[in-house]
Amino acid sequence: MKTKIAFYRNKLGITQQELADAVQITRQTIIALEQNKYNPSLELAYKITKALKKKHIEEVFIL
Amino acid sequence: MKNKQKTWRYIFAVVVLAIGIILEYLKIGKEFLGFSSVGTWLIYIGFVMIVIIRLQFIKNKKRIIDERMIKISYKATRITFVAIILVAFFIMILDGINPINLAYSMFMSYLICFMIITYFISYKILEKHN
Repeated sequence: MKTKIAFYRNKLGITQQELADAVQITRQTIIALEQNKYNPSLELAYKITKALKKKHIEEVFIL
Repeated sequence: MKNKQKTWRYIFAVVVLAIGIILEYLKIGKEFLGFSSVGTWLIYIGFVMIVIIRLQFIKNKKRIIDERMIKISYKATRITFVAIILVAFFIMILDGINPINLAYSMFMSYLICFMIITYFISYKILEKHN
């Protein structure tokens, strides 16, 4: 699964740590997600989408 | 660390320490794992446990355990389990060829060390690739 987390995160001007704190996960998980190494659960994908101020999961996560 | 969890760990460490003192007082047990007796070993383990719990309490860092870490630890546990089965199988064969004369306590300590090392290495490798 590909993600646009880094793109939207940079757009918002927040760090990986800030995003990790917002969704209560570790920075390592954010790194793994940005490098498309880890497929998150639906719950986590939803939380990240909300933290990145996007309406739909499909905007951030691409199959 | 949660208070309840911390209390239970303290109780366990104190019980280990107390058993060690009792065994030492009653002079039960011979040389054990490089220590003069089982009691001395238990006292040492008890003290180490108390120090570790205390250090964890001083650190008081809020540890985040997310779903990725849970997934990795689950995979690492599975790998460790399979590794133990394989090692046990080879030990059985080796024992059949040439009987192993090793104290049970030594064998178990080697096995526990093997488990910890296997888990740690597999966790680190999985962490890199997941």
